Amino acid sequence: MAERPEDLNLPNAVITRIIKEALPDGVNVSKEARRAISQAASVFVLYATSCANNFAMKAKRKTLNAGDVLAAMEEMEFERFLEPLREALEVYKKDQKGKKEVSEQKRKDKEKKVDSGNEKSREDEEGEEEEEEEQQCMEEEPEEEPEEEEVEN
Amino acid sequence: MAAAVEAPVPAEQDSALCGSEGETRGAEVEEKSQPQTGSTGPAVSHSRLSKLPLARIKALMKTDPDVSLASQESVFIIAKATELFVEMIAKDALVYAQQGKRKTLQRKDLDNAIEAVDEFAFLEGTLD
Repeated sequence: MAERPEDLNLPNAVITRIIKEALPDGVNVSKEARRAISQAASVFVLYATSCANNFAMKAKRKTLNAGDVLAAMEEMEFERFLEPLREALEVYKKDQKGKKEVSEQKRKDKEKKVDSGNEKSREDEEGEEEEEEEQQCMEEEPEEEPEEEEVEN
Repeated sequence: MAAAVEAPVPAEQDSALCGSEGETRGAEVEEKSQPQTGSTGPAVSHSRLSKLPLARIKALMKTDPDVSLASQESVFIIAKATELFVEMIAKDALVYAQQGKRKTLQRKDLDNAIEAVDEFAFLEGTLD
């Protein structure tokens, strides 16, 4: 499944929608223009990624973070993007927090169900294995969080 | 030979990005649960989040051999920036279409915009 950069395109339907919402009603876009814009968007992603990665490497970090991308935008002379991007990032962060809480809730609910199931039918090894797996999942979560905190800095 | 070279690279990237992939799985699980809580939930979040699929953006980023790890936030910001970029280039190209008294954006309008606008200089020579 290894793809060349040129082979990976962004979905045409989404690109078309973004273009149409940006332009006034009554304006059409030729297929070739749409294709070229889609290609340009892919090139943009690669260029932005490369630029952002330079900032990460300068800071001796192996993980690209949001700050690197924002710095890249400035370097690429797309300062006009900075404010809307920062706003979008805040909304995204809040959204992710909410999602984490919900998924944690779901895991807790699952644990309760598994426990009640263990008492009734599943005993011995199967139940213990499931509990161990869930405990491992729980252990993974706290490990992920500190990584995120470092990344956000 | 190509396969032998490519094999270790995806493995590293997969393990490196497994954390973020796990998070996206969590996000997918959450999206399924949203309809249960309320119908207005998905509408609000989709209008604010990126329209471009983060998985595809991430796949594009991974083609860069120098990139090892990318936080989920960085993938999101690049997706959002790409959206803004598409809007910008479409609008700039439209100016040339209107100069030609056309209501249809054509490839040459895009070429003109790329030539004229400094920020698009990186695109020169990259499009078919």
